[in-house]
Order: sequence, then structure tokens, then C-alpha cells
Amino acid sequence: MYISLQGISKQYASVWAIDRVNMAIAKQEFVSLLGPSGSGKTTLLRVIAGLEKPTEGRVLIDGQDVTELPPHKRGVAMVFQEFLLFPHRTVRENLAFPLRMMKMPKAEMDERIDWALGILSLQGLDGRYPNQLSGGQQQRVALGRGLVGRPKVLLLDEPLANLDRELRQEMEVEIRRYQMKLGIPFIYVTHNQEEALSMSDRIAVVNKGHVEDFAERTTLYDKPKTAFIAQFVGRSNKFEGKVTAADGGSCTIDAGGLSLTASGNGGLKPGDAAFAFVKNEKVALAPEGFVGEDNSLPCTVRDVILRGAYAEYLLETSDGLGLVASRPRSGEGPSIGHAVVAHWASGDVDLYPVKPDLGLRR
Amino acid sequence: MIGGLRISRDPRAWIFLGVPSVFLVLLFVLPLVSMIVLSFWRTENYHIIQDWNVDNYYVIATAGAYVTFLIRSLVMAVIVSALCVAIAWPVAYGVIVYGGRYKLLLSLGFAIPFLTGEVLRVIALQGLLGPLGLFNGVLMALGAAPLRFIMYTNFASAIGLVYLYLPIVVTVIYLSLLNFDMRLIDAARIFGAGPFRGFIEVTWPLNLFGTLIGFALCFVPCLSATLVPRFLGGPSGTLYGMALAQQFGESGTWALGAAMGVVLFLLSIAGVLLVFRFVDLRRSGFTGFGRS
Repeated sequence: MYISLQGISKQYASVWAIDRVNMAIAKQEFVSLLGPSGSGKTTLLRVIAGLEKPTEGRVLIDGQDVTELPPHKRGVAMVFQEFLLFPHRTVRENLAFPLRMMKMPKAEMDERIDWALGILSLQGLDGRYPNQLSGGQQQRVALGRGLVGRPKVLLLDEPLANLDRELRQEMEVEIRRYQMKLGIPFIYVTHNQEEALSMSDRIAVVNKGHVEDFAERTTLYDKPKTAFIAQFVGRSNKFEGKVTAADGGSCTIDAGGLSLTASGNGGLKPGDAAFAFVKNEKVALAPEGFVGEDNSLPCTVRDVILRGAYAEYLLETSDGLGLVASRPRSGEGPSIGHAVVAHWASGDVDLYPVKPDLGLRR
Repeated sequence: MIGGLRISRDPRAWIFLGVPSVFLVLLFVLPLVSMIVLSFWRTENYHIIQDWNVDNYYVIATAGAYVTFLIRSLVMAVIVSALCVAIAWPVAYGVIVYGGRYKLLLSLGFAIPFLTGEVLRVIALQGLLGPLGLFNGVLMALGAAPLRFIMYTNFASAIGLVYLYLPIVVTVIYLSLLNFDMRLIDAARIFGAGPFRGFIEVTWPLNLFGTLIGFALCFVPCLSATLVPRFLGGPSGTLYGMALAQQFGESGTWALGAAMGVVLFLLSIAGVLLVFRFVDLRRSGFTGFGRS
């Protein structure tokens, strides 16, 4: 593998910010580190960059052990959340910085800078200072400064967090395009699942300094490996209850009087406490009186949230249990106050034991 | 960009800008003007005689002593300011990087010397450096020869001036570094700069403006220093400021003193302008122009 993290741990005082992380990343891959704030994803990125030294473990880039090397000898580049452009340098000088540090000849340097200005549509702005640029333009310069030196890997630390939604979606497409064009791995840190899902080949979900799963984005979304991933990625209905019956093929859970059927048993035995997740878009709606499938639940529509192409129906059972169903908007959906039946297949229920032992050191 | 001299029409602007303006005119411009006028008169037997002439300036330029004092003061001020900057940088940097939660406390520590009077501090130094002072006293008690170069010399004056103005310079550079985004150093390191190169490319230029303010705040009072050379400088340590003070004191040649003051004022302005001439504020990351 092109980049390999072997048993990386980082301890601050008595806290393990990262705990025994192993990852292998291929050369053409776009990888996201997805996790809530404080999960250790940025620390992990800084370890790869060389800005932090791991307490344990090795970092290998392109076959070379770089664990002991300072950042400037690793051939990495980084795009920071706050851009961190040099305020005393013009756009051109900011882009020239990595090249000057490489002692590149002037002619080649100009060529490279013009190339970067070109692919990032920054022509005509090269004489400006960073504080004369808009947020989006600063972001492009930061990206250009990352790409201009043709690094072995580009590290991106929440680079879109300071941009507005529209610009962010535009940049997502562009960043992915640059990555494919350059054929180097991008490691992208974000707390935003949509960003991670839209750009990545694979996503590592980081929680409490620990990689919960590192998998293809579709696998991660469709078959979440842990309860944390099921909750953090996508939007789901969460149920907590006790397993009442389990055999090889299916499993029944009693969640506060509500009986749920799931296919597969997730390694659970009767009597175990369990979490069950059903993605909002897997919950279908049928008219009152409908019976069928594995799970069906009479509800009342409490509110409808319009999301454009689809709508979210906030439902409530007679017991006061809340539920959300996301449905594409085709024709007339049920309106507020209507009685409906929410139903979903047992195969769409993801089951997890309540207290998984992650074996964390803390 | 400087948006012309458009000042807000809000009446409050007149209070906020007007009060300091009146203050400056009364306490700074008026005395300065009166000093300039006095410098073109003359004094005789402790009386001011109002006949316009340029004799005072002629004396300053031709009587060798004043030129010597002036050059000595300039050299002294440059050396002392440079020393202060050289010492203040690592101190301020250390407090910012390693100060942690004691940063504020440590930075307030810079102000402690100001709690005593300047005279007291200089006399205390005299006690340390003089022939019977702590250093030489200990040396002689041990049977060694005293260090002559710290007794009533220009060297002793330099020590005194560095001691007096170091807290100001440290504070100014500290404030400059406090506003400096240390993560820019991370950016420089990522993009290929080692620690030294990162300092030269990023940290130094972005704090140059603050450093120059620190330099100027040391340089200007050093030029006019009177107390330090009087107590520590010894017979060949007379500085310009001390000679100037004498005109208003013992010798009673106020008009000459005023002329010396005018020369000093012009020199200070020239010095500061010269320094800032070489600084492009944009190149120091100065964003005080706003974005309009």
C-alpha cells in the first residue's frame, strides 16, 4: 500500500487521543476520516503530516518509514480549515512558497504556478493579498498551494467548513476532480458525512481515537459495522430494547412495548440489550389499515419537513414514540394529522449489542 | 486600502477624536512650538532675550562637544535598542509558546519594574555596578581585580539603558506575537521550511512591525536619556540628553537647550521615518487598512 499507518497511538497527558490505528491507503484513493469533533481525526492527520509525533506506531509513505522525519521532509502537503495563507504574501507568492522551498528553477516555478492558477480559475488574482480575496478564492489558493508542489499525498483538514453550502458543494466536485486528475491520495478530515460520502472512495469513521470501520462508502452507509456508525452516518430511527427471541435467521426485539423483527441476529441472544437502527428512507408509508411485511406500525403524521426532492414525515405512535420517514415527493403524500402505517423490511433493521467492548485504553 | 480621510459624521466621533486632539494640542504641540520659538532667542545671565537669531544652532554644530555627545547618543541608542530587541524576542516567544495558562501572569511580570521609580532603579544599578558594588565587592573580597569596564563607563550606561527599556520592548513584542497565528508556522513547515527558514519566511516578517515599534520605543528615550549617563556613565559618558538637561539646569542656557531639543526631536522623527521607510506594511501582514 502507498500509505500505511501501523498501530498509531497518541497520548496527551493521560488521554489517548488516538488509540492503535491501522490503515492502509492506495495511491489513487480518496479517503475521508469522518468523526465528531474531538474524535482524534485531526490529530491523526497531523501525525501523518509530521506535525505531531505518535506515541506509538509507524507511518509509512510510499514504502518509506517517515515516522521520525519532520513535515518538510515527508513530501506531504496540507490544506487547513482556516486556509492559513501567508498574509504578507500575494497569491502568486503563496503558491510559489512550496516550490521555493524545493529550490525549483524560476522558469519551471512560473510554469507550475500558472498551471495551478489555471486549474483553480485564479487567473488575474495572482497579485492580490489574501485579505483581498473572498472565502472561496482563499480556499482555492490554499488548495493550489497544496497541489503546486505535486506532493505524494494531500492532507485536507476540514477545508470546506468555513464556506457556505452552495460553494461547498461546488468545491466538493472540484476537489474530487483534482484528486482523480493528479492520481495521488487525498486524506480528507471532516465531521460532515455528506462531504465524506460525496467525495471518498473509502471512509474511516473515527470515534474516541479509534477507527470504528474503514470501508467503501456504500458499505459503510448500507451495512454500518457498529452502532456508532449507524447513528453517525445517514439519518436513522434508533430503538433500544431487549432481545426476546433469536434464531439463525431472525431476531425479535421488544423496544418499549414495540416489537421489531430483524433479519440476522447480530450475534445476540435472548435477554441481551440491543440497539436497532432503521434508516429514515427505509421507512415506507401506507394508508391506515395496511398490514404486511415484517414491521408495520400505525402512526399519526405530526409534521412534514420539505427537503426539496424528498420530504421528512415526523410520525408519532399512539404510545408517543417518535419516528421519521423520508420519502421521495411523488404525488400527494399524507398531510399533517393523517393516520398512516409506517412499515419496513426486517432486512433494513441493523442490530447492535448495547455495550460493545472496543477495548479502549482510557 | 486607505479610504481617503472620511471621518464619520456621527457626533460621537467628535468626542472620541476631539478630546485626544485637544489634549495633544495643549500638551504636545504648544510646548513644542514654544520650544522652537525659544530656540531662536537667546539667554543671558538667566534672562531670556527675544532677539531672533540662529546662534544656538551654530553653537551646536560647531562646538565639537555637542556633536560628540550626539553621535555617542545615536550609537548608544542603536546598540541598546538592538540589544533589547535581541533579548526581548526569545523572552516574549518563550512566554507565548511555553507560558500556557501562566501567560497572562508572566506578561504582567514585565510591568513589575515600572512599579518603582526610574531614579530608584538606576541608583540600584549603580549600587550593583559601582566600585563598591555587589559585583566588584565580591570580586575584591575574593582577591580578584575589579571589573573596570562596568564602573562609570559607557558600557555601564548601556547596561542601565537595556535594563530600563527592556520591559517595554518585551511587552511590545509579546503583544505582536500574541496576535500572530502560530499555525502559520505549521503551514510553513508542511510546505518545506525547516524551523529556521520558517522563522525567516513567516514569523519574523509578520512580527516586524511590532518589533520596529518596540525598537522605536526604546530608541527615542535612549537618545534623550539623562539619568542613566549621569549615574552610570562616568566622566566620558556624557550623552546628548544629559548635556541638554544641563542647559536647563546648572548652566541656565535655556535657549541653547531648546535648540538642542529641536535637533533631538527632528533626529528622532528622522530616525523613525527612516526605519519605517523600509517597511512595506502589507509585507508585515498589517491589515489595519481595513478591507474597504
